[in-house]
Amino acid sequence: MGAWFADNGLLLGLALLDGLASAALIFLVAVGLNLVFGVLRVLNIAHGSLFAIGAYTAAGLGAALGSGALPAWAALGVLILAAALVGAVLGPLIERLLLRRIYAEENVLQLLVTFALFMMLEDVQKLVWGVQPVHHDAAMRLFGTFDVPFGSDFIPFTAYQLFVLPGIAVLVLVGLVWFLRSTLSGRMIVAVTTDREAATAIGINADRVYLLTFTAGAVLAALGGALASPTAAIVPGVGASTIVLSFAVVATAGLGRIEGAALTALMIGLGRSVAVYFFPEAEVLIPYLIMVAVLLVKPQGLFGTLETRRI
Amino acid sequence: MKPILQAQGLRLAFGGVKAADGIDLDVGEGEFLAIIGPNGAGKTTFINMCTGWLKPQAGRILWRGQDIAGLPPRRITAKGIARSFQLPQLFTEHTVLRNLALAIAAREGAFSLLRPLLRPGWTEEAMEIMRGFGLEFLADTRADALNEGSRKLADIAMAVALKPRLLLMDEPTSGVAASEKLGIVETLARVLRETGVSAVFVEHDMEVVSRFADRVAVWSQGRIVANGPPQAVLADPDVRREVIGIEDAHAAP
Repeated sequence: MGAWFADNGLLLGLALLDGLASAALIFLVAVGLNLVFGVLRVLNIAHGSLFAIGAYTAAGLGAALGSGALPAWAALGVLILAAALVGAVLGPLIERLLLRRIYAEENVLQLLVTFALFMMLEDVQKLVWGVQPVHHDAAMRLFGTFDVPFGSDFIPFTAYQLFVLPGIAVLVLVGLVWFLRSTLSGRMIVAVTTDREAATAIGINADRVYLLTFTAGAVLAALGGALASPTAAIVPGVGASTIVLSFAVVATAGLGRIEGAALTALMIGLGRSVAVYFFPEAEVLIPYLIMVAVLLVKPQGLFGTLETRRI
Repeated sequence: MKPILQAQGLRLAFGGVKAADGIDLDVGEGEFLAIIGPNGAGKTTFINMCTGWLKPQAGRILWRGQDIAGLPPRRITAKGIARSFQLPQLFTEHTVLRNLALAIAAREGAFSLLRPLLRPGWTEEAMEIMRGFGLEFLADTRADALNEGSRKLADIAMAVALKPRLLLMDEPTSGVAASEKLGIVETLARVLRETGVSAVFVEHDMEVVSRFADRVAVWSQGRIVANGPPQAVLADPDVRREVIGIEDAHAAP
């Protein structure tokens, strides 16, 4: 063990740091998907498209504004602005024009509709941004690197991935939990989620709750994409891999659970990056192995509860 | 008595079952109307139609002269018609106080993103309503920790917090211990009388009906077969036999 650690310790440290950064991104996307499912009861496959469009828009906006010459925080602000724009425009559009018509339909139909939307948005991305990889890493470069002390060594790591990504993820987690627990709108969202009939009976406007929730989910997906854009080139198909991974997180966490999504994203992010360094051939498999292992023990997911529905 | 709600020729069938087969029924201002009848006769369907949960296939529901049949539930609630369900629909993870505050917020149409649920004016109003129902000592109790009687009262308190002019209640005393029933209805009737709210309640307990209803409508197979003061209706031998299921030979003298 000691000998193994001496040989591989640095690699393990690097894997953990990588894992933390990727867990932060996975969390942002998955928590949005989970929030939308928890309230609207629609599993939105096009959530992956919102991630991709958020990434492309952030890269495009960054290039257009020349964010390489801006201060680091301003470059980060450009990413967040891009995400907010994408979510605030596409979110209400999709909810109003499409989802609103299918809330009462069967799950299969809902899945097909959001899948169709996903396919269309894939082509829209190719039309707008082409099929060549897009990369704009100004925000990450501007934050520089940080030397993480590791025994007698240092691991140089980008401050963006080390502090900014996990920091934003924690802010979103704390903010969401606070919002849902303590504010009026949050309580109304929870009320509609736990019992739509009762909420409607006391006159809560469920339509407004759905619109707000879906828009928030869209912003979170786009934020995940925008914040991921400096860390890797954006290629066609990134939306598909994102949504599949998010499904794994949501299923493992338990549908509709915020804190569960955080813990699961951490498990899957760390698991995957450890695999990248030590068992590269298992990288793709790891999230699903974790999911299967959890679901074998707890079929409702880590934080899920059996649903009881009243008539 | 001036009618506040008038159902005219309501029809609704589920497959071959006629839940409402030409229903004409009025509710007067400040009146307590009890609806009795065998299970499956369509009593709950009536409440569901009046509150927008079901759309009648024919007929009108006039609320102060305006047809509200088929409007969505939220719009009807906003007009001053509240309901309670057979199973209380409290938000179980909340305290009683927070449940009431939520109802008040919904009534006010408030949806501010960052403001807290409990704000001074609402908390006071919620406490006031709880005092009316004798529930103030349960303000900080979670709804899922209440006993059945308190749960029923809290559920109705929530409907009252919407400041309705008409309250429709589906079996307000079902599932409550017999010893608690009259107390609950007494509290309920007092609060409603004080505020002048009209009430329609579906009920199976004839003692509750005879003591608290101003009028009784008997619903059987989608039709109203009797409609009048409780003493007269409950004394009718046909009603007793076919609807309440009491043979007069076995009834109390």
